Amino acid sequence: MAQPIRILTAVPICDGHDSAINTINLEFIRHGIEVVYLGYHRSVGDIVRAAIQEDVRAIGISSYNGGHIEFFAEVVDLLRKKGVDDIKVFGGGGGTITHDDAKIMRRKGVDEIFFAGTSLEDMVRFVHQRYGKPRGKRVKPKSADQELAHKLTEIEDSKKTRNAKREKGIVRSTRVIGFTGPGGAGKTTLIDELVLRFLNKGRQSRVAILSHDPSVIGEGALLGDRATMINSQNDRVFMRSMATRGQAGGLSPATKDCLALLARSGFDYVIIETVGTGQEAMPFQKNGIVDQTVLVMNPDYGSRLQLQKIVMLDLADIVVVNKSDLQRAKTAHTEIEQRLEQNRRKQRLFDTVAKRHRDPGVDRLFDLISGNAKRAHERRKK
Amino acid sequence: MSKLGSVVESVEKYNQFVVDQVKRARTDEKFGRDLLGRWNDIKAKIPTTRTPTGIPLPRLALPEIDEPGEIARYLFGEGLPGEFPYFNGAYREMYLEPLREVESLEKNGESKKSARKIAPAEEPTRLFSGLMLAEDTNERFHFLTAHQRTHRLSTAFDGPTLYGIDSDADGVFGKIGEGGVAIDTVEDMVRLYDGFDLGSANFSASMTISGPAPIIMAMYIAAAKRRFGPSVVPKLRGTIQADIFKEVQAQNETIFPIEPSLRFLTDMVEFTTREMPRWYPISISGYHIGEAGSTPVQQAAYTLSNGFAYAEMFAARAIPVDQFGPRLSFFLDCGLDVEYIALARVSRRIWAIGMRDVFGAGPKAQLYKLHTQTSGRSLIAAEFKNNLTRTAAELMLAYMNATNSCHSNSADEPFTTPSEEWIRLAAHGQAILLEESGIFKHTMNMLSGSPGMKAVERAVEAAILDEFREIERLGGVLAAVEERYQRSQIQNAAHKYEQQIYDRTRPIIALNKYRNGSDDIPEVKLVRTPRKKQQLQVDRLVKFKKKNAEKSKLALDKLAAVVESGKNCFPALLDAVEVCSLGQITGRLQEVVGRFRPMV
Repeated sequence: MAQPIRILTAVPICDGHDSAINTINLEFIRHGIEVVYLGYHRSVGDIVRAAIQEDVRAIGISSYNGGHIEFFAEVVDLLRKKGVDDIKVFGGGGGTITHDDAKIMRRKGVDEIFFAGTSLEDMVRFVHQRYGKPRGKRVKPKSADQELAHKLTEIEDSKKTRNAKREKGIVRSTRVIGFTGPGGAGKTTLIDELVLRFLNKGRQSRVAILSHDPSVIGEGALLGDRATMINSQNDRVFMRSMATRGQAGGLSPATKDCLALLARSGFDYVIIETVGTGQEAMPFQKNGIVDQTVLVMNPDYGSRLQLQKIVMLDLADIVVVNKSDLQRAKTAHTEIEQRLEQNRRKQRLFDTVAKRHRDPGVDRLFDLISGNAKRAHERRKK
Repeated sequence: MSKLGSVVESVEKYNQFVVDQVKRARTDEKFGRDLLGRWNDIKAKIPTTRTPTGIPLPRLALPEIDEPGEIARYLFGEGLPGEFPYFNGAYREMYLEPLREVESLEKNGESKKSARKIAPAEEPTRLFSGLMLAEDTNERFHFLTAHQRTHRLSTAFDGPTLYGIDSDADGVFGKIGEGGVAIDTVEDMVRLYDGFDLGSANFSASMTISGPAPIIMAMYIAAAKRRFGPSVVPKLRGTIQADIFKEVQAQNETIFPIEPSLRFLTDMVEFTTREMPRWYPISISGYHIGEAGSTPVQQAAYTLSNGFAYAEMFAARAIPVDQFGPRLSFFLDCGLDVEYIALARVSRRIWAIGMRDVFGAGPKAQLYKLHTQTSGRSLIAAEFKNNLTRTAAELMLAYMNATNSCHSNSADEPFTTPSEEWIRLAAHGQAILLEESGIFKHTMNMLSGSPGMKAVERAVEAAILDEFREIERLGGVLAAVEERYQRSQIQNAAHKYEQQIYDRTRPIIALNKYRNGSDDIPEVKLVRTPRKKQQLQVDRLVKFKKKNAEKSKLALDKLAAVVESGKNCFPALLDAVEVCSLGQITGRLQEVVGRFRPMV
C-alpha cells in the first residue's frame, strides 16, 4: 500500500475561526491522510517554514476573516521564492471567499478553493486525487533544511529499514534528548518552553525536534504538536512530526533512521518526543542514540502501586513531575522520589509548571540539560 | 468550593423558598389575604393604554389568577418586570411607547405624576459596525445615527487589532480594515469617534474587543481626553467586551496566558469602576460561544458561570459588589432553537438570585442587563434573502426575552462585512417589530407565561444548573477552562449540529431542504479595504512610531516595571498609549507575562 499523504493545515494570521478546519482535519485523518495541524492565527512565514520542514504535499488554509486573496498569494509566493513550489496550496472560507475571489486566487497559483456547501467527501476525494500520486523526481533542494526534509521523507516512505550505520566512532557534537511519558502530562509544552530557553541562550544554536503522534485506524494521523508549540515556530528550530504508522511503543518504524540522520546534521540539540505512552513502554531502549532520557509525569498517576509498574522510572535519567501546581503534586513528588531512590542511579527529579511563563522549575531543568550538554561536549573534544 | 457551587445552592434554596411561600399562602390565612390584597393593589395601579384602533389594554398584563398560592408562585417565582428575580424583565416598561391615552390618570392623580416622569427610553437598536480605516467607520457611524435621538455606537475591530498587533506587522497586509476597523494608535481612536460628543448623556460607545481590551480602553480614554480634556473621563459611557474566558472557551482571540489576561482585566475594572462610574468594563458574552457551535443551554450556562467567576475575582480584589455589579453586562446569541424562547429570562433569574444571595448584591447589582444579537451562524449563503426571515424570527425571540438592546444581522453577512442596503433592512426589521407592530409597544408581558414557554424555562434552568454542577466538580470556571472542559463541550455540540444538517434531521431551508439546486453565490456588493487605504494606515503608523521613538521606549520600560511589580498597571497603560502603538505595548507585555498557548 502507498504511504499516507502528508498535508499541512492552518488558519491565517488574525483569524481564530478554527471550527471548520477542526472538522475537516478529523475527516482527513479518517481517510488515511496525515495532517500536520499548525493551528489558528498563523503567519505566512510560519506556514511555509512548517510546510518545508514537514515536507508536505500541500497546504490547506481555512480563512474566514478576510484578506484571503493577499494571504493565499503570499503563501504561494513565499513557497516559490524558497524554491519549493512542489508544495501546493488549497483552501476555503465558507461564504467569505466569492467565486470572483477564487478566480483571482487560482490565477495566482492556488490549486483549489472550496465554497460553502462543499461536502467533506469532496474535499477528501480532492486531496487523494490531486496529491495522492507518488512524487516524481524531486527538484534539487535550495537549502539545508529542505534537503534534510527530503531525506526524512525518503526514510519515512521507504519500506525497508536501512539499519542505520552504527554510530560508534562517529564524533558528533549534537546532544540527543528523549522525552516520553503518558499522554496529557505536558511533554509538548515542556519541550516548547525548553526550546524558548535554548533560543534565548545561544544566539546561534539550532534545535531539531522529532515529534510523534499516533496513527489512527485507517492510517491517517493528526500531527498537532506544532499548534501549541508557539516558541518552536522559529528558523532556528527544525521540527518534524511523524505518525507511528502502525508501530506500537510510542515511535514510528522510521524513527531510528530519522533520528540518526538528525543527530549528524549539525544541530546543537535534537529532541525526540514520543506519543503518550503506557506503563510498559521503553521507547528509547533500542535506538542507542539518545544521550539523555526525560520521563514527564502527571501528578495523577493513580495509586502508589502504579509507580512500581512504570518501566521508564527505572530507565529515565531525569523524571519531571509537571503540573506541580496541582494539589496532588507534593504527594507525587514524595512517592516518585522514594521510588527512584530504590534504583540507586542518581536519577534527577524536577517539579515544573510548564504552562507558566518563566517557571523556575523549567529553568532548573534547562540548566541541568544544557549544562550537561556543555560538559559532554567538552569531554568529547578532549 | 468556588462560588459557583454556592450559586447552585442559592437557586435551589430560592426555588424551595417559592414552594414554601405557595404552601404558606394556602395555609396561613393572613399571609394569603395580604398577598391577595397586594395583588389587587398592583392590578389597580396598572395604567391603561389604547391601541391605534381604540382598544384599551393594560400596560402590564398579569396572569388571571386570584388564588393566593398562585399569586405567591408568580410574585416570588417570576416577579413583575423590574422586580426580583427579574424573570419578566430587568426594567418595568422596557419597550413600551410613551403613554398614549391613560384612563386611570383621570381617576388617580398620583399615577399621573409618575407617568409624566417616564423618560423617553433609548432606542434598543445598536448596530455593530466597523470597516476599513477609522475615518471610514466614523462615516458609517454618522450614517447609522443620523435619525436617532441617542447615539449608541458599536465598534467592530479588524483582525490585527483584535490580536493586538500593528498594521505594519509581518504578514497582516490584506487584513487591515477587514471585518472591522483598523486601530493602531490613539490618533486612530480620535478619528474613529470624530464629531461625536463622547461625554454626552446621549452618547455611548461599545467596543467589541477582548484580548487587548485594557490597551484599547486606555486608548479610548486618552482620545477622549485629547478632545474634551480630563474632565470628560467620569462622564464616559459605553461598554468594552474584555471577556477573556469566552475567548479561551470559544473565540480564540487571546494574546496573553489566562492568568495575566485576567489580571490586566481586573486592573482595568478596578480603574473604571472607580473613575468612570457609567462605563461597562466587561460584556460577559455568550454570543461567540453560541456562534462557535454550543447548544443554547451551554451558551447560557457558560456565560453565567463566567460572570460569577468574574464577580468572584473582582470581589477578591476588594472592589465592592455594589460598585462593580451594576457595571457588568451580558451579551447573548439568539438563534432559532426553541430554547431561545426563554434563555435570557432564565439567565436573568439565576443571575439575580446568585448575586443577591451569594455575593450580597443590592438591587442594581442584581440586574442581568442584556444585549442580544441574532445568530450569524444561522445565516447561510444559499438563497441568502431567506436570512431576512431568519433574523426576523430571531428578533421576535430576543424581544420576547425582554433583552435590553439588540443587534439584528444583515442578510449579506455570510459573504461580507454588511453593506448599507442590507444594514438598513436589518435596522428596519427592529423598527417594524417594535414601532410598527403592536406586539411589544403597548403591553409588558404580552407573550410571557404561555404553558410552552414555562415548560422550556423549567427544562433550561435545570440544564443550566447541571452544567454549573459539572464545572464546580472540576474546581470552578478557571480550572475547567484550563482543562478545556467548556471548549470540548462546545466543539462537540458544533460537530453534532453539522452532523444534523448533513443527515437532514435539522432542516436548513434552501440548504438541505427545498433546495433549488444552484450553488451560485448571488451578486452582492462586497465591502473590501482597498490596498491604498491599507497602505495609508501603515504609513500613518510608521510616522507615529518614528515621532515617538524615544518616548515610547521610556513608557514601555515603565509599563514593564509596573507589571513586574504586581501593582495595578492601568495608569501606566494610560501613559503608554499616548506614545506607543497597540503592537508595541502588546509585544512588551508578552515579554513580561508570556504569550497565550493555544488549546487544540
